[in-house]
Amino acid sequence: MSTIRIPSPRGAFRVWQRNVTIFRKYWMSSLFPNFIEPLLYLAALGLGLGAFIQQGGIDGQSYVQYIAPGLLASNAMFAASFESTFNTFVKLRFDRIYDAIITTPVNAEDVIAGEYLWAGTRSALYGTGFLAMLVVLGVAFGETLITSPWAFLIPPMLLVIGIMFSVMGTLFTSLIEHIDLFAYYFTLVVTPLFLFSGIFFPVENFPAPVPQVAWFTPLYHAVNVCRELATGPSLGVLVDVVWILVFTGALALIPVQIMRRRLIG
Amino acid sequence: MNTEMETSTGTVSGESTLVGRGLRKSYGDFEAVKGVDFQVSGGECFGFLGPNGAGKTTTMKMIYGAVIQTGGELEVAGLDVRDHEREIKRRIGVVPQEDNLDEELRVRENLLIYGRYYDLPRKVILRRADELLDFMQLSEKVDARVEQLSGGMKRRLLIARALINDPELVVLDEPTTGLDPQARHLVWDRLRALTAEGKTLVLTTHYMEEAARLCDRLVIMEGGLIIAGGTPKELVEEHVSPQVLEVRASPEDLEVLLPIVEDASDAVERTGEEAVLAYTADADALAERIRGSGVKLENTVYRQAGLEDVFLRLTGRSLIE
Repeated sequence: MSTIRIPSPRGAFRVWQRNVTIFRKYWMSSLFPNFIEPLLYLAALGLGLGAFIQQGGIDGQSYVQYIAPGLLASNAMFAASFESTFNTFVKLRFDRIYDAIITTPVNAEDVIAGEYLWAGTRSALYGTGFLAMLVVLGVAFGETLITSPWAFLIPPMLLVIGIMFSVMGTLFTSLIEHIDLFAYYFTLVVTPLFLFSGIFFPVENFPAPVPQVAWFTPLYHAVNVCRELATGPSLGVLVDVVWILVFTGALALIPVQIMRRRLIG
Repeated sequence: MNTEMETSTGTVSGESTLVGRGLRKSYGDFEAVKGVDFQVSGGECFGFLGPNGAGKTTTMKMIYGAVIQTGGELEVAGLDVRDHEREIKRRIGVVPQEDNLDEELRVRENLLIYGRYYDLPRKVILRRADELLDFMQLSEKVDARVEQLSGGMKRRLLIARALINDPELVVLDEPTTGLDPQARHLVWDRLRALTAEGKTLVLTTHYMEEAARLCDRLVIMEGGLIIAGGTPKELVEEHVSPQVLEVRASPEDLEVLLPIVEDASDAVERTGEEAVLAYTADADALAERIRGSGVKLENTVYRQAGLEDVFLRLTGRSLIE
């Protein structure tokens, strides 16, 4: 009766393609806030707060150098989280876009997989823009923010990170009936991750169990990966990459099944 | 049943395109559809007539896979819907009850994006989109925003969208509900053009006029069951006398009149405190008897019996409440 549904890549691609078509119309207006936000953090915390913690910086980096790569990861988290919560909910409940799509050969499971892919794509697009800006800013202010050519791997990594947070966001979306409940997701999940995943200070210096708890959360590993790729990675980064892949793979099919049951009576 | 299938998208007239046997759907303790049987032939326009909550939409959704049946059999083009989800959806068109057009896309784009869901080649999509917009009389609105369209235009765009894959069977759930008479007539006209092309249409409605005008055959649903079926003419002939006299009078006068009317007509339905419907084969004779009684009538309407009367006779209720 309840067999596990595996999305078809073709159907998922069609849903991704729909989102691309619409994004191409509105990208200018939707890009701007996503771009400005990390820059505000960089200016306020990196330059403002950073001025008070200059001596020695963190791990031999200035404070602004320390937080810049982490903001790449959190930016991907925010982009994918908004996409998979508010945007997905509106398409599901208000615009009934998914109801229309699933009367075609594209199935409910393909729709959700397509949305994962799209959220990842959006994260990567914004992240690449922000990364380019970090490079330019580093040159402009004479304080290189991205120091390693390994940084070319950051955009594809942001795609994966975006998919991971899309899976998490879609899981929450698949369980709720009312759009107001997203406030809980952002306040209790997204914001704590943003603050305690090693973007602004090394979590390792906290007493137990904070570092141990952080290890089990997704943004911590995303920040590690981005920071290592920005500065030249150690082999340890592979642990973070594997963690992200395993976590994403383990969760990915759960929202697909729940959403299918919501779309098909 | 004849399971021999046509080879192309063309529909061979007379073959069963849609078959339901003992079809059931329940949600927990609530049984929305309680075991219905129907058989729709290729090229036919088949209607499900009934009031809201009769189980019409649930039946439609089972056909296009948005609701999974609890029991019974349901075959589209000879394929069991449970095992051939994608294949069936590829071959049918769906006009849902509520408008779910993509509001972020313009009129023509709605068709282009929808066509991609069927993996149609871009050239084919472009050609069909223009043909369909022309067919549904939307050519002047190709670049309009969906939100700027009137209710009737949105319905027509939904129908155009349902045709982008050149389906052999089109399922329409209340295609004209909420439309003004002009818009409704335009939709009827287009649907008749589709049947003339040989497409099979299955539609739900609670307008007996719609069912009578469009459907070759129809079933009447009520409370999850099919309570009657046939051609519109057969249904009227079988269940009601051909002529109806609507008699209105004060409740006291009606009491006096009722025995006379009951005696002189085949059937009587009391539709309110001050009104009765009398079914008869000879309305003149009935009118004569009523005049002879000397009771002062407020209003009498004489008309031909229709599907509304069939429904009223079968259930004691009117279709639209």
